[in-house]
Amino acid sequence: MKNRILIVDDSFYMRTMLKNMLTDAGYEVVGEAANGQQALELALQTTPDLITLDVILPDNTGLDVLKGIRQEQPDVKVVMCSAVGQEVIVNEALESGATAYIVKPFSEEKVLEIVGGALQGTDSTEA
Amino acid sequence: MKSREQEYREIFMAEALEYYDAMSRHISELEKAPTDEPALNELFRLMHNLKSNARAMGYNQIGEVAHHMETIFGLIRSKERIFTGSLVPVLFTGVDTLGNMIRAVGDEQETETVDGVEELLNNLDRLVKGEEPVLPDAAAVDDDANRKLELSDLVYIQIKKLDHLLNLVGELIIDRDRILTLSQEIGSPALQATAAHLFRISDELQYSVMDARLVNVGSLFNKFPRVVRDVATAEQKEVELTLVGQDIQIDRNILQIITDSLLHLVRNAIGHGIEQPTERLKAGKPAVGQLTMSAQTERDDVLIHVADDGRGINIASVRRKAVERGLVSKEVAASLDDAAVRAYLFEPGFSMAQQVTEISGRGVGLDVVKLAIDSLGGQLRVDSTLGQGTTFTLVLPTSIAVKGALLFELDERSYAIPLMHTDSVVSLWPEQLHIVGGTLLADLQEERVPVVSLRRLLHNGDGPLVPVQRADVVGRQDIIVVNYNNRKLGLIVDRFLRQQAIVIKPMSKPLDTIDLFGGVTLLGSGQVCLVLDVPALTRLFLAKRP
Repeated sequence: MKNRILIVDDSFYMRTMLKNMLTDAGYEVVGEAANGQQALELALQTTPDLITLDVILPDNTGLDVLKGIRQEQPDVKVVMCSAVGQEVIVNEALESGATAYIVKPFSEEKVLEIVGGALQGTDSTEA
Repeated sequence: MKSREQEYREIFMAEALEYYDAMSRHISELEKAPTDEPALNELFRLMHNLKSNARAMGYNQIGEVAHHMETIFGLIRSKERIFTGSLVPVLFTGVDTLGNMIRAVGDEQETETVDGVEELLNNLDRLVKGEEPVLPDAAAVDDDANRKLELSDLVYIQIKKLDHLLNLVGELIIDRDRILTLSQEIGSPALQATAAHLFRISDELQYSVMDARLVNVGSLFNKFPRVVRDVATAEQKEVELTLVGQDIQIDRNILQIITDSLLHLVRNAIGHGIEQPTERLKAGKPAVGQLTMSAQTERDDVLIHVADDGRGINIASVRRKAVERGLVSKEVAASLDDAAVRAYLFEPGFSMAQQVTEISGRGVGLDVVKLAIDSLGGQLRVDSTLGQGTTFTLVLPTSIAVKGALLFELDERSYAIPLMHTDSVVSLWPEQLHIVGGTLLADLQEERVPVVSLRRLLHNGDGPLVPVQRADVVGRQDIIVVNYNNRKLGLIVDRFLRQQAIVIKPMSKPLDTIDLFGGVTLLGSGQVCLVLDVPALTRLFLAKRP
């Protein structure tokens, strides 16, 4: 059974790249959300195994979305996507229940390593 | 085929230009209201995205400028800097410079060729550190007032303009085929070469126009999570929707036409298909019903499935209802296979709703869906397993312009049948055909298919068909087997001609009321060729069979 992934990022470019990377690696991308509202709706509707969640979103921050998802779906793995210089947010995200995080710009290997690790439960983040 | 690199680059460019436009807008807002929080948030977010995307593409200089700009907008947001004084011109220059660098990338130039990047980065650095930037003298600032206006590379266009373009291309193709045929008749090598060139160019033009009309199926699919939630709530059911294949592309007008059909099928699936949670649990299913909408391409067609894991279609009750409604005699009904019985679901007014609910069973039946799909030259199929669920499949053309068709001859005239509805082509001898109750039957791949002479069907007049006699069937019979609504029918024609892509023009008034013909097409020879409408022919045969 393919692992099912929901991509949350407000940039179409980022979503396309992530989707290609994940699909090529055999994952099933079950949805793409461009803002927090969509992310919460799609998370409920698609019940993914893992969500890649951008830290900065147009309507609310990734942190709020993370907390919203955690309330409804405690088991889903959430990988935060952040950029250099957002360590504070990343730490707060990890405390709020994020499984792992990736720092942009990311390489395909890194994405697959972290997503794979998060799904298997091994705690591999880009330290 | 585009490489992925190229695709990424195009997406990056389109999005970066959008970001640039939005940044220009927001920074102007900020000039009027320096603490406008939404504008600041947006500027911060846009800079952040541009930075991430540019770095992923390896455009490090854009990434660098966007990173600094992001930092300063962050500082303004957290009230550590104020959008005033010397900071303002530097940030405006920053946005302009980003625009120049993005355009340089678009023109395949190095971003290093853009003027003033170094000074800008130094000034941004000073601002981050809280130092005073070094501003150019007034003469240089004047440049800003003279700057050129740049327009976005993306154009929004009304669909009716594309419709018009497509119609013109359709006419061009017809003339092209005619010129090609003439050039062969005349036999001039120069003319033939020119005609061949015209053929290639117009082909490419046609595909470009068709391509411009394609949109993602997702643009429609993505409206459904909301629909499903609302319908499920109203029906007191729990439904999980899965969308697959949103990136499959299809003509925008086709998507428009099937919108209501998909709505109807989804409402049906939730209203009639998926059971109440308690009923599902009793049947050993999870309480939450699964609904899947998926799109895929198959050769030139797009297949859209709407599948539920609900109670399925009860063949026995459809069969009973078909008899009750007088659509079929009890004896014939008993002999029909499941697929043929399910086809009655598409008959007008044939609703299987046990009770009329708010959402479903409001009188609009599957026949309306069927009509919409037919009008596109598509097919609607249904598969179902009792207790396990139902799947509706829409087979749709990718584009409305060109259709593959089979050309044949009848009474020395050419006709066309869309390939979408042709199942196979066979030539049979009289001994391979049986006569049962005045109707010809052929055994094809373990299936008994009724066969009718197309000439008899078209020239019969109003009454029922005259029963076929053995003596009527002489010599080899060329038969086109057509398929509509799970029913196969063999049509005897005089001669098969060839398979060809044709442009179907609708019949003009008053001929558009003749529903046996779906339109006309002009052949290269200049001959007008009628396009048979298989659904109407099938209905005619069913109504007139002896």
